[in-house]
Amino acid sequence: MIKFENVSVRFGSGITALNTVSFEIDTNDFVFLVGPSGAGKTTILKLILKQLEAAQGTILVDDLNITSNRFHDIETLRRRIGVIFQDFKILPDKNIFENIALSLKIQHISNAEIRNNVEEVLHLVGLPNKTLLFPSQLSAGELQRIAIARAIIGNRDIILADEPTGNLDPKTSWEIMKIFKKLEKKKTIVFATHNTDIVNSMRRRVFVMKDGHLVKDSKKGGYDI
Amino acid sequence: MSDVMKSIRRTPYQSFASFLILLFTLFMALFFFSITSYLNGVLSYFETKPQVTAYFQTNVKEGDIMNVKKELESSGKTKDIRYTSKNDALKIYHDLNKNNPLLLEMVSSDILPASLEVFAKQPEQLSSIANYLKKQPGIDEVVYQQNVVDNLLKLTTTIRRVSLLVVGVILFIAIIVLMTTTAFKIALKKDEIELLQLLGASNFYIRKPFLTEGIFFGWISGSTAFLIFYAIFFYFYPFLKSYMGTITDIPLFGLAQYNLYVWPPNAPFILLTYILTVLFGMLIGIIGNYLATSKYIK
Ligand SMILES: Nc1ncnc2c1ncn2[C@@H]1O[C@H](COP(=O)(O)OP(=O)(O)O)[C@@H](O)[C@H]1O
Ligand SMILES: [Mg+2]
Repeated sequence: MIKFENVSVRFGSGITALNTVSFEIDTNDFVFLVGPSGAGKTTILKLILKQLEAAQGTILVDDLNITSNRFHDIETLRRRIGVIFQDFKILPDKNIFENIALSLKIQHISNAEIRNNVEEVLHLVGLPNKTLLFPSQLSAGELQRIAIARAIIGNRDIILADEPTGNLDPKTSWEIMKIFKKLEKKKTIVFATHNTDIVNSMRRRVFVMKDGHLVKDSKKGGYDI
Repeated sequence: MSDVMKSIRRTPYQSFASFLILLFTLFMALFFFSITSYLNGVLSYFETKPQVTAYFQTNVKEGDIMNVKKELESSGKTKDIRYTSKNDALKIYHDLNKNNPLLLEMVSSDILPASLEVFAKQPEQLSSIANYLKKQPGIDEVVYQQNVVDNLLKLTTTIRRVSLLVVGVILFIAIIVLMTTTAFKIALKKDEIELLQLLGASNFYIRKPFLTEGIFFGWISGSTAFLIFYAIFFYFYPFLKSYMGTITDIPLFGLAQYNLYVWPPNAPFILLTYILTVLFGMLIGIIGNYLATSKYIK
């Protein structure tokens, strides 16, 4: 469960990136976060990851108030969350295996277990034979799958995807969506995008953002702004 | 370990700078540590020698000498006073000249003086003891090593102060250099550190490779400093040995029970200096890296 209560974010430059936003996402729900560039989608994801502090309001992850002054265990929170960053954040000097393994290595998981897990997620995202290649040797679509693999490995139960189909062609985008369909039963997924086709055909819950406001929350909605 | 090698390959100049400054620091620290412990040892060697010896004229009665002894003892400045009677002196003389019957023939106990050997509690009290003895009636001669001990004392104190100052300054420079080179390495890995934080890595996990690198540099620089120092030392060893003459078996800081000998340096002492040098190097490495990472990792 992820719950926002009147959450606002302001930047020093006077920009209100998020303006009294409230919503609730149930465990294992799938939500699209849509809206034009600059609407506040990334800001919402960063708040959940506690990469950003809210100026006002309360954010709950399950029963944990992560905006409270008494909340300090950011590490445990972040280990529950898999993020597919808008800019991938794949390390160029590590090979694919190492990049994905990083997500588990920081949790002091044994090498044997890491190997099994990496193999498993690479099958899931459809790139089983690329472990020893380096990021520069992969296409954008493949990199996106690697980013997804790193986000979902090791039982992270909340997935935050920031425009994961952003710079992919339609065919590759659909293949990426297939991966998310496989995941959605077991994970809470927040999926930021401005890809109308995908949102409309998936028929999932949609939050429409505009200038920092949550302007529409439609169950099994479409997206036609 | 392979992470350390990778990091060195990525920043060879910064790594070399870290190595050199650590090497220099540790060499100087080792040098001053050796000099200080050596001088300290020589000082306590002289302190254990009879520090003031008063020879009495041959006509002085034993009772008078014993009075002087008692009075000195009551001053509280002495650790031990040994009386050597004329007969004792003759015995010593006989032992020394066992193989020379001619010399033995010539000497009887009448012409050998009785003497008091006085050990002071503190070397600073030597001159007042000597002055006191000189004033006693029937004194023939007062011999004492005031100059040796005083000069050694001055030298030891000076060297200790100078070395603390010099090592302090170099240490400061070394930590600044290490912080700077580490900060450079961190800047190169900024993206990785940020990603690790977002994935939920602990601060210790993020710091660990930098600390490992600091420890590694401490070890390699400490070992090199040690090798260079002892290479130089053993090159000059014959010279030092002739200079030291018969003075041998000087324990480290008077701690004879630990089998650590400063002169001639024995294996346990050399091993101890190696361990101390390397540990000190690792400590500097850890401190420098910790300070550098603290700027980026809260
Ligand atoms: N670090 C920042 N400093 C100042 N303004 C920012 C910063 N990050 C985001 N913003 C502003 O906040 C608003 C929302 O940004 P964002 O959440 O990234 O939008 P979206 O992801 O929907 O494109 C934008 O107007 C953006 O310019
Ligand atoms: Mg964005």
